[in-house]
Amino acid sequence: MKQENPFAQLRPDSRVGIVGIPPLAVIGRLNSLGAQIYDLDEPQINTDMELTAPFLPRVYCAILRTALLNALHLELDMIVIDVGPGKCDCALHVSTVLQDMLRIPVIRTRNEDDVPFGHPLCETKMSLLEKLKRITAGVQSAAPHQPEKFPPCRPTAGFWGVPPRDFSLLTLFPDTTHIYGWTRCMENKTPADGELEEMFNAEVPTIFFAQSFCAKTALAKFLAAKHPHGLYLDVDVTCSSSTQAKIQAFLELSGVGHAAR
Amino acid sequence: MLLADFGTSYCKFRELGGPAGAGQPYLLATKDLPKNLRVDLATGHNGKRFSDRYVNELTALARGGEDLIAAPDYVLLDCGSRDIKYVSYCHGKLADMGWNSECGASMGFTIELLEKYYNLDYGKLAVPERTFSITCGVLGMSHIFDAVTSGISEAEAVARFVKGIALNAYRFSGSPETLYLSGGLCDNPLFVGSFPCNIIPLGRFVLIKGLEKTAREHLSIAL
Ligand code: SF4
Repeated sequence: MKQENPFAQLRPDSRVGIVGIPPLAVIGRLNSLGAQIYDLDEPQINTDMELTAPFLPRVYCAILRTALLNALHLELDMIVIDVGPGKCDCALHVSTVLQDMLRIPVIRTRNEDDVPFGHPLCETKMSLLEKLKRITAGVQSAAPHQPEKFPPCRPTAGFWGVPPRDFSLLTLFPDTTHIYGWTRCMENKTPADGELEEMFNAEVPTIFFAQSFCAKTALAKFLAAKHPHGLYLDVDVTCSSSTQAKIQAFLELSGVGHAAR
Repeated sequence: MLLADFGTSYCKFRELGGPAGAGQPYLLATKDLPKNLRVDLATGHNGKRFSDRYVNELTALARGGEDLIAAPDYVLLDCGSRDIKYVSYCHGKLADMGWNSECGASMGFTIELLEKYYNLDYGKLAVPERTFSITCGVLGMSHIFDAVTSGISEAEAVARFVKGIALNAYRFSGSPETLYLSGGLCDNPLFVGSFPCNIIPLGRFVLIKGLEKTAREHLSIAL
């Protein structure tokens, strides 16, 4: 962080947007100050993505385009954006754009937290959509997990990757889907743990997902080829009907019942 | 039990288990479909409108391939009017799949349209030496107009376009040595001859075969 104490100016009700996973110490600080945290990686407002076109190329990660769209519309007092090994260079460049575009502090962090919190939600029986919602919401808290509430289940399918821009694709998976990849690192609160990110379960059919135009597409494709029953998938802003059909068919033909839609 | 594959240009049907046993599969132009039509099991674009039981197109294609292809390792490509999709199997198990409805858009439809527009017969056109680089039917048409303007015959320009589409579909499906082909374009000798690999055409009714397999094995309907 460049400034000495960038948080000194925050009031208890200050509105702080976060991009990626800021270090736990920062989240703890924001929580203790009583700041309202907005996860800018997720759609917070319902408006046209085209509004980001003057600032970012259309061919760019949809998560970061969404973050910028949120930042344009939410009246924030500060943005904390992680640009360390747990996020990406795309976020680093977006932080430059945000700083130029807005008159609020844009604080860059490098999250290298390495204390594992565990990942009970990734392995429990629950709709995949709900699991992802809880994991992403968990970013705003520094509290420890409650693994006893989420016992592990036997997996029938795997979802590897980042939380997608379009959560609707998650509704296609069965409740016994285990989560791998960066989303697992997210729940574990170790977003830069490359080893954990590369893990998969070769026993269950797995979809290796990445956002289109993200560097992780290479890792997703590579791991899908290594997996005895993996399918690589990249999606941009929204999941098209043919991509939905691809997920359904993959699960169906792998003998895994997909969730009815 | 009436099975149907609702395509963009043509719909394919087969009646099963009637008093006369299984009927022959048949075709109807999509624009001529009866308004109140209902079928027992459907697949294809718009299929959900006509039936309470729907199988997605990739699943129907894969199951059709499982029924029709004896080899354990294969790639099966379906070229439709508005999209292309493939499934690949390794040791008898699904290994990969793809569905291109954006870049493969309107390929088959454009090929049919061009034959009528330029009054050509694909049965009589030779596979050209050269090709256009084409990823989409609509965008590819501008290559034809440019070529014709530059003095190339309409037949040669269209043949290059068709070859470009075949090459694009071949690459999309992973450039296999042998490709099983599904869809109406199996009957187009210029298209089939334009692939740089061994082609085994399976015809228009592969997805209907997949529906039969679904009815038999997954809905427990005795046929
Ligand atoms: S999806 Fe990829 S490019 Fe987008 S923010 Fe995450 S790591 Fe960066």
